[in-house]
Order: sequence, then structure tokens, then C-alpha cells
Amino acid sequence: MLSISNFVLELLNKYLKVMKKGVIVFILAALVLVTTGIWFFSSTEKLKLYEFVGFGVIILVVGFAVFIGFKRLNSAKRGEPAEDELSKKVMQKTAACSYYVSLYIWLAIMYFSDKIKYETHTVIGTGILGMAITFAVCWLVFNFRGIRNE
Amino acid sequence: MNNRIKEFRARHNMTQEDLAKKVNVRRETIVFLEKNKYNPSLKLAYDIARVFDSKIEEIFLIE
Repeated sequence: MLSISNFVLELLNKYLKVMKKGVIVFILAALVLVTTGIWFFSSTEKLKLYEFVGFGVIILVVGFAVFIGFKRLNSAKRGEPAEDELSKKVMQKTAACSYYVSLYIWLAIMYFSDKIKYETHTVIGTGILGMAITFAVCWLVFNFRGIRNE
Repeated sequence: MNNRIKEFRARHNMTQEDLAKKVNVRRETIVFLEKNKYNPSLKLAYDIARVFDSKIEEIFLIE
């Protein structure tokens, strides 16, 4: 058992070193898209409106991930680093801001889940999608506005 | 903080991409620096000054 886990870890280490982060983003985006596609097309019941909205949001988040992946690949093509001090700072600010906003999102979800009865997986799914959207919006704001005087 | 990167770059006949490669950052970072939308780290400021063969205080000006 230990030798198998060692082998897997070694393999993972080797591939992670070889793969650029951009490629990993593409793989993750493809996995999310395939999983969502399976969920969407294998559903036997008629899909409800909020399920369509959820699907749309997932597509948006995947689109955002692909956009970041393309940006990194373009940088690599030009011979520039995929990440530098500005992109790391933007990521740090985005993570901090989206964490802060996410706390309020969960607070709002807790408040409304008392008033309106939803299934547990719907509530958790909404929270996770809300967090993903918050992250994307924060990244777009910091990436295009810049980080001044900090 | 203001800077004169654009002026120094023109003087040295360099594109944003050339400067980015020399100081090992992405071109977007140079764009943001020139628009004063980002204040560089001390290391990046030092690297840029070294590329232009100047002092840091000649390129970066504190208002």
C-alpha cells in the first residue's frame, strides 16, 4: 500500500514539474465541463429554471478559467514568466477580498435558508457558485484596475 | 509614486516586451507600471534601474 502511494506521489511530482500551471487549468476546466455535461444530459426529469441558471454560471466560471489559462500560455509563448510579482499580488488581493465577501454570502444563504426551504445540496451548490463568481469578479476588478500605492 | 519608465524606454529604443524580458516580468506589468497603476517591489525597481543604467531615484519619483 505504502509503495503504491509512494509511486503515485512520485508520478504526480514528476508530472507537476513538467506541466505548466496553464495546462492544469485547462484540464480542470475540461473536467468540470464534462461533469456538468453528464449531469445536464443524464437528467431524466425536466430541468428547473434555477438548474439552468446554475449551468450558465458554471459555464461562465469555466470560461473565466480558460481565459486565465490562455493568458498564461500566451505569456509562456512570448518567453515571459507565467506568473510575476504583479500577478501574484493580484491573486493575493483577490483571495483576500473574495474570502471576505464569501463570508457575507454564506451569512445571507443561512438567513434565507431559514425563510425558504431548499434542499441541502442546492444551498451548498449556490454557496460554492457564489464564491466562484465572487472570485472571478474580484480578479477582474484587481486585474484591470491595478494595485496602486500599496 | 510616479515613474519615467516610458521616457527611459524610448531613450534606450526598447519595447515594453523587451524590457519585460530583461527584468523577467510579464508585459502587462510594464504596462501597469507606465500607467502608474502599480508600484514595483524594490527588487523590480532596482532591476529596471540597472537595465537603464541609472539610479532608482532617477526613474521612480515620490510625489
